Amino acid sequence: MSRKSLHRKISRRKFLGTSAAAGAALAATGTGLPRVSFADSHTIKIGFLAPLTGPVAAWGKPGLDGCLIWADWVNAKGGVSIGGQSYNIEFVGYDNEYDAAKARTGATKLIKEDGVKFIMMLGGDTWPGVQTIAEREGMLFSTLLPSDLSPDSTTLLAPCEVHPIYNVTGVEWLAENKPELKTAAMCAQDDSLGKPSVATYLAAFEAAGIEMVDAPLFFDPATTDFAPVMTKLMAGNPDILCLDTCYADYVHPLCEQAFQQGYQGQIISCTADFYQKIIEKTSEEFMEGFIFQFPDFDDPALNSEDVNFVNPNEFYVEYANRYGASEWSAVSWEYASIMDLWADAAANAGSAEPAAVLEAMKADGTGKHAFGTADWWGTELFGIDNALVGNWPVVVIEGGKARIKGFKSIPAWWNQHKDLMIKHMTDLGQMWNQRG
Amino acid sequence: MDLLWQTAVNATYAASYMALIAVGLVMIFGVMGVINFAHGELYMVGAYCVVFLYAQENFPFLLAVAAGLVFVGMVGLVMERTMFRPLRNNPLGGLIASIGFLLILQTLAVFGFGRRMGHVPPSTQGKLEIFGAILTYQRLFVIVAAVLLLAALWTFLRRSKFGRALRACAQDAEAASLQGISMNQTARIAMFIGAALAGVAGALTAPLVSPTPYIGHSIIVTAFIIIIVGGVGSLEGAVIAAVLYAFVHTFVTTFFDGVIANIVGLALMLAVLVVRPTGLFGAKERA
Amino acid sequence: MVFLFAALAVLPYLLSYSQQEIAVLLVINVLLVSSYRLLTLTGEWSLGHVVIMGVGAYASALLAKRLGVPVPLSMLLGASMAAATAALLSFPLFRMKGFYFLIGSFAAGEIIRLIWKRFTDPFGGPKGLKRIDPFPDIDAGFLSIDFYEPVNYYFLALIIVSASLFVLHRIERSRIGLTFHAIHWQDRLAESVGVDTFRYRTLAFVIASFFAGLAGGLYAHYVGAVNPTRFSVDQMVYVLVWAVVGGTATFYGPILGVVVLTVINEIVLRALGLDTARPLIYGAILILSVLYLPDGLESLGPRLRARWQRWRGGPAAARGEAA
Repeated sequence: MSRKSLHRKISRRKFLGTSAAAGAALAATGTGLPRVSFADSHTIKIGFLAPLTGPVAAWGKPGLDGCLIWADWVNAKGGVSIGGQSYNIEFVGYDNEYDAAKARTGATKLIKEDGVKFIMMLGGDTWPGVQTIAEREGMLFSTLLPSDLSPDSTTLLAPCEVHPIYNVTGVEWLAENKPELKTAAMCAQDDSLGKPSVATYLAAFEAAGIEMVDAPLFFDPATTDFAPVMTKLMAGNPDILCLDTCYADYVHPLCEQAFQQGYQGQIISCTADFYQKIIEKTSEEFMEGFIFQFPDFDDPALNSEDVNFVNPNEFYVEYANRYGASEWSAVSWEYASIMDLWADAAANAGSAEPAAVLEAMKADGTGKHAFGTADWWGTELFGIDNALVGNWPVVVIEGGKARIKGFKSIPAWWNQHKDLMIKHMTDLGQMWNQRG
Repeated sequence: MDLLWQTAVNATYAASYMALIAVGLVMIFGVMGVINFAHGELYMVGAYCVVFLYAQENFPFLLAVAAGLVFVGMVGLVMERTMFRPLRNNPLGGLIASIGFLLILQTLAVFGFGRRMGHVPPSTQGKLEIFGAILTYQRLFVIVAAVLLLAALWTFLRRSKFGRALRACAQDAEAASLQGISMNQTARIAMFIGAALAGVAGALTAPLVSPTPYIGHSIIVTAFIIIIVGGVGSLEGAVIAAVLYAFVHTFVTTFFDGVIANIVGLALMLAVLVVRPTGLFGAKERA
Repeated sequence: MVFLFAALAVLPYLLSYSQQEIAVLLVINVLLVSSYRLLTLTGEWSLGHVVIMGVGAYASALLAKRLGVPVPLSMLLGASMAAATAALLSFPLFRMKGFYFLIGSFAAGEIIRLIWKRFTDPFGGPKGLKRIDPFPDIDAGFLSIDFYEPVNYYFLALIIVSASLFVLHRIERSRIGLTFHAIHWQDRLAESVGVDTFRYRTLAFVIASFFAGLAGGLYAHYVGAVNPTRFSVDQMVYVLVWAVVGGTATFYGPILGVVVLTVINEIVLRALGLDTARPLIYGAILILSVLYLPDGLESLGPRLRARWQRWRGGPAAARGEAA
């Protein structure tokens, strides 16, 4: 029995639908099949190809740590049930050191030697090294950086964080709740994360009728002294200070400087990792009303029925126990949430083969995103509908604690204001057809 | 006017910590002829001393800074004894060894403190208003400490026997040893002082930056530019170049943006190299 | 020699698929570090060599992508571009010597990198260039070679690099090469007998840069992507490390360095599952190697041979005395 015919069998099963009855019936026949491709074990391997050492490791290693919790939990419950058979999930990591060539080597190792069924990446600089392999091997990949998406790569998905498009939700909430704030100033690091983020905030501010007091200020990623940056931002006397998608080691000194230089207005930012520590450096009053996009995972609002992430509060506690609360970041849960999506699709497909899982994921044009059911979307921005976009939380600091103030719909904003977004993205050279 | 004045105050702070780092780097190069690539990591270790002693173990801030100074100085002694002394006639070997050492320090910092940023609460939130410009005490500490330490170093080098020996070795190691100056002893002192200056800069600025295990990388490139502009063998040159670079960089950042400031910084370095390859204050011939 | 080539020809078939990938990059790095050695013959150490490699990579990629220049030709043009850049840079840089040349080359390299970052058109900014045209497949009916396969690219790179090494070796043994040596050890003397040291330094720099640029072209069309970070001083540090750990007194020293260190870092340490401790152990190996093998790995062979002879000579001499 060749792998091919087994695969055909699986496709037919999927055709029969995913009702429980049909699933059970097929499971019965399934056990009678000789399992050539899964002969020796009931384990499915998943590749984790991201920087695990070096300066970019903070975007990779905590994700692998989160996935290990995910795997322990899933395996403790008997694994993922695919086509009537339970499979344990095992993660195989490869440190690509954020280098395109090493990512290429890692991808071939994971595919050809470890036999993984799905590879999660950080993306960015490393994706172009892997692109050809993904196309040739038909392997399913995920990235955290949707700017990697292009129509050439049909098997690359951005299924969790569609940075920076969700930043519009914070600005929208701000305009609705504090309509008296009319002017803004912003800064960002000059890199592939900062630029599209600036374009997004410019579009969101324009849509909300908020004016910029000055052109966005770009600083070098190696900056360590933020006093001049803040002096410049505050010189225009804005109502709103926008910190864009600054990394945590920029957000902290920027807030500290804003506080020290006497700023008293509104601040909005994409992230505010370790915001308790920012409060220590400034004051509770200063940080009151700070808007950002990444909730604490002990937030009760995450227990809402619409949220698909499994046991968010318990996940946070377990993560903090194993690795320390200071290692927690958005990356910690994002890769794990992609695994939820994958496991669901594999179960529906009745197969772990990349093509079948991809088809099942996108079958009805929607997917179970961590923050609620979302649409596969992106043609106008990325040239392909491989980004999963729906609701995203708006988080506000109140009395020293971050709280979700609501989930806002990204597609709703997009349908109204997409021309603005496309205009600003084009101005900064961030559209998919403008890139390299 | 306010903006101009505030920017000048910002630049003074930047000049202070850059001068501490650059002088340390020049000191090590001057006496040992080794480019210490791990110098940025010595700054990082100093910052983590404050993360550990002050932020985690609640010792007083100044005590933690002093401990950082001494500890990083000792790390410098270890480097001198185990690497730079055996490699005294092999400057390239010393360079490679310092690269190996920086990889070790980075990894140890990740093991000890995690790969994300360390947190240091401010030791005081007080601030000074000088003609409308704001200067926090935290930043003032750095300026005062830099001035005191550099003045003390200058006096030490002028007045003491060690200081004379140190300068003699920096100028001509062979001649110095013929005069009966102990090369080992001077190298030890130079290495201790050079490392301690980087360490104290890291310790003092720890509450103001967000120390990560990889912060040394941002530091070393700037330090390189400064010592090239100042002239590689000159302590005074390093101080003046630090002030020059900090003012140019801060003003361009405030009035244009941070990326343009970097381009201007590099252009400044290139201009100096073309016009005067040995730097503004470097010795004429030392190759 | 024949034996060595036979070994290199069989090698990929003994490796796993991903190890073949590592072998391709290793062959490219052999060219990079060997070209670097040519420059060091004149006594100058540069911190800009990897940026020069990048000039070759960017030029070749842009020629192929934008102007449709066929890839093998674009690589040669890219290499020439790297050589031309070196020729231009030699005017400010060779006013300096020794340590000043080292930092001067660092400065020049940083400025080139800043240009790549700043001018998004055509260089692609911080994200660089991607989807660079691969080396064209050969399909002649009876023979079809797909250069996406690492084995095939390995042989392609091996042929180009072997030819380049042959040229580099000939240059070193020629009168020009001997002059390089002379400039290193006796530059005043060389000048006094009428050698134009500036011209010879420039020549060494240009030739070395040509081959570095060629290595860049091989890299760009294999990986398919280049960006400014790939050619930063961090990467340069690795080249320096390979050269010094291997030793630069002989032609094969730097090659030994890059091979041994790559195998340790990419295969041995990864296979041991050391994960996050990898940089620490790599660092320790660097320190120990410069401390205990100050003349590089190349000195290991002669040293062992000497010890072996002493050991053999010892008992034999003793027996001789007894007799």
